Order: sequence, then C-alpha cells, then structure tokens
Amino acid sequence: MQPFGLDLDYVAVVALFCVGLYMLVAKSNLLKKLLGLNVMETSVFAFIVTAGMVEGGDPPIMVAGTSAPYASPIPHAMVLTGIVVAVSVTAVALALIVQIHAHFGTIEIDELKELP
Amino acid sequence: MRPWSLLLVLLVALPLVAGVATLPPHDAPDAPIHTQVGALYLERGVAETGMKNLVTAVLLNYRGFDTFIEVVVIFTALAAVLALPKGSAPLPKGNAPLPKGSAPVPKGNAPLPQPDAARSQGVGGARSREEEAPEVASDVPVSPVVRFVVRLLAPFIAMFAVAMLFRGHITPGGGFQAAAVFAAVFIALGLVLGQDRAARLVPVDWRPWLQGVAPLAFALVAWIGWRLTGAFLGYPIDDHTVQEAMGFVLEIAIAVGGGVVLARIFLEMET
Amino acid sequence: MSDLFDIVMLALLIATAVTVARARDLLAAVVIFSMYSLTMTLVWQHRGAPDVAMTEAAVGAGVTTVLFLITIARTTRREKP
Repeated sequence: MQPFGLDLDYVAVVALFCVGLYMLVAKSNLLKKLLGLNVMETSVFAFIVTAGMVEGGDPPIMVAGTSAPYASPIPHAMVLTGIVVAVSVTAVALALIVQIHAHFGTIEIDELKELP
Repeated sequence: MRPWSLLLVLLVALPLVAGVATLPPHDAPDAPIHTQVGALYLERGVAETGMKNLVTAVLLNYRGFDTFIEVVVIFTALAAVLALPKGSAPLPKGNAPLPKGSAPVPKGNAPLPQPDAARSQGVGGARSREEEAPEVASDVPVSPVVRFVVRLLAPFIAMFAVAMLFRGHITPGGGFQAAAVFAAVFIALGLVLGQDRAARLVPVDWRPWLQGVAPLAFALVAWIGWRLTGAFLGYPIDDHTVQEAMGFVLEIAIAVGGGVVLARIFLEMET
Repeated sequence: MSDLFDIVMLALLIATAVTVARARDLLAAVVIFSMYSLTMTLVWQHRGAPDVAMTEAAVGAGVTTVLFLITIARTTRREKP
C-alpha cells in the first residue's frame, strides 16, 4: 500500500520515532524520557525488520515446510542484539534514576535544575 | 519548551519522511537488502554453517564479532548497575552537591507543593497512596491467584526456554531468546516468591562466573577457532561437527550468561 | 487481508505510543508501553521475524516492564505537569 509514493509502513515507523523523540525532548520526567527513548529504539528496530521482509516471504529458517522467498536474516540478527543492548541501557538508566530520586527526591528535570 | 520541541520533532520528521520516500518498497524482492550479502547467506548458509536457522547462523558465525562485543556490552551494563550505591541509600555527604544550609529533601516524599489542579485531573486514588509511602509496593501481599499461576507455569516456561535453546539451530529460538525467557521466569518467580527465595536458584559461589560466562565462552571459542583456522573466531567450514559444537557452546553460554545478567540486574534493583 | 492487519496494527502502535506520551500516571504509561511492545511483537511475527518477536516478547514486554515498575515503586508514580 503506497499512496503518494509513500510506503505507509515506513511512514508509521517514522511517526513512532517522532513520538518517542517528542517524549525524550519535551517531557520533564526522567522516566517519561526513558520511555520515549525505548519507543524510539523499538521504532528503529521495526524499521530494520520491515526493510528485511519480502512479499510472501517465510522466516529465514531452512526446514521442511518453508520455501523461498525468505526474509533477510541479517536485519533479524542485528535487531536481536540491539534489543538486548536496549534493555541493558534501560537497566542502567533506571538504576541511575533510582539513585537520583534517593538523593534529590525528584525525577523531574525542571526541579533538578532548580536545586542549588 | 513545548512549541520548540514540536518544531524540532517536525524538523527531524521531514527529512526522515523524505528519506523513506526514496527507499524501495519494503516488500520488494529485488531491494538491495535481498540481493547483496543477505542473498549470499541464504544461498550458502546451511551448507557453510550447518545451521538451518540462518538468524542463529548470522549471529554466531558470520557476524560473530558483533555478538561477542554485544555480550560484553550487557556484562558492562551489569557492572555499571552493580557499581552504583545500593538501593535508596543516600550518597555519602562528601559527594553531595547540596550545601549544608539547605535541608535535604525527605526521602520518598514529593519535595515541592503540588498544585491542586493536578490532583483533580489525574487518575484518582493512586495518588494518595503513593504519597504516603512509595516503598509500600513491595509490602503488598501477592494475590494467591497470581502466585499459583506463576508457580504452576514457571517450570513449563523454563522448559520452553530450554527447548528454544537446544533446538535453536532448526527452529526459531537460540541463545538470546532463551536468555530473555530464563530471565523473565526468574523475575516472575522473584516477584511472587520474594527475591530471597528466587535468588537461591543461583548458587552464590557460581554467580561471578555465570555472569561472565558469555564473554568468557566467546573468548574461548574464538581462541579455539584461531588455533583451528588461523582466524580469530574462525569456524572450520568443512568440519560440521566442530562447528556445531562451537555454536552449541556459544548458545548455552549466551543463554546462561544473559539470563543470569538480566536476573542479577533485577535483583540489584529490587533490593 | 494482510494489508488490513498491517493497518490495524500500525494504527494500534501509534495510538499506544501517543497514549504513553500523554499519560500523566507513570504506572499507566509503563503498562501501555508493555502493550506497545506486545503489538510490536505481533507485527514482527507477521513480517517473518519469529526470533526477534520472541526476544521482544520476553525482553520488551517482560523484563523492561518489570524494571520500570520497580523504579516506579522506588521513586514516584506521578509525572508533574
């Protein structure tokens, strides 16, 4: 489906990326920023997986019952590692947020800026 | 702040849309992604690696370096989480940027007065409880239904993870998937049984080794490959038995190491 | 049929993402984010990436959500306006 020469799946991914970017930039709450970062990450993964699919394609697993064309295996492998790195980044950021809250009593950037 | 953010988002969105408009349709079989090296892997992958699941083949064999560094990354993430001071204990005074005159903010309470408008527009009910004691969440007893279901299902989910691990070369699945599911089972059990009982599932003496097992196994396999083929992390193309053994070691190491790292991050944040 | 599935799923994805952005209650935001992850899982499964879908289901919807929930329990549940 490609109205106006635009691939709707790609446009949807860009929209998700922009929602995540907006959360990252405009929200004051650190947890919301992190959620936005996660939305951005997931949208990029979706972009890569979407680029790797093929019309009527099977997963790239060469066993009985599947047939060509296959989806490209490289994007899947890249995204697989990316997801695990994303959760690691999230874990570190969350641990930092807990520390910030324990220390300053707030996780709002606006209030953290006003601290002496 | 807000209008400018919207403007920035628009400024980012326009080139992105313009960029994706130039891409070939996402399901076209003749897009570059399907005709270049990906096609090569699809064509030769099974013969060269002996794995029918080409995602696993790419992950462990063709792009082994990437995966190697990636398990180092998750190990580093664990190290970073462990390096932070425990739980909600405040930092030592010397490090505190707060000057002596200003009273430290009481822990757990909202430090600034809240406008009443926020109270009415927000989701009711949740707020008052949260203000009293945020830590109360861990003291709420687990519903018996949840406890029963999790305890009933946990062995089966764990078995599913083991199946994914050992059949990862011919079915969807593999080391990372099994690691994620292992960690999810552990976290579910930790939430239901209490983290002390869950933590006993992993013997204390083994923990440092288990946390680092994935990078260590990768280094070992890379060294073996070096000795066999002369290339770091090289696989002997014509010997499928050795190749499968190397891939198998890596899969188990990634599953155990990744699962333990994620579980340890959970334990560290829980306490 | 396939197009319809795609359209519904993508609309659901954007709707959940916007809801995450708008929610003032952080707990609600995190729970909706886990729904976003699960929807993404379905999309990826549909696009021939079962490996990725499984990882995302366990990590994105499971582990990440729990870590966020723990953080909310230790910090605060409300986003200040």
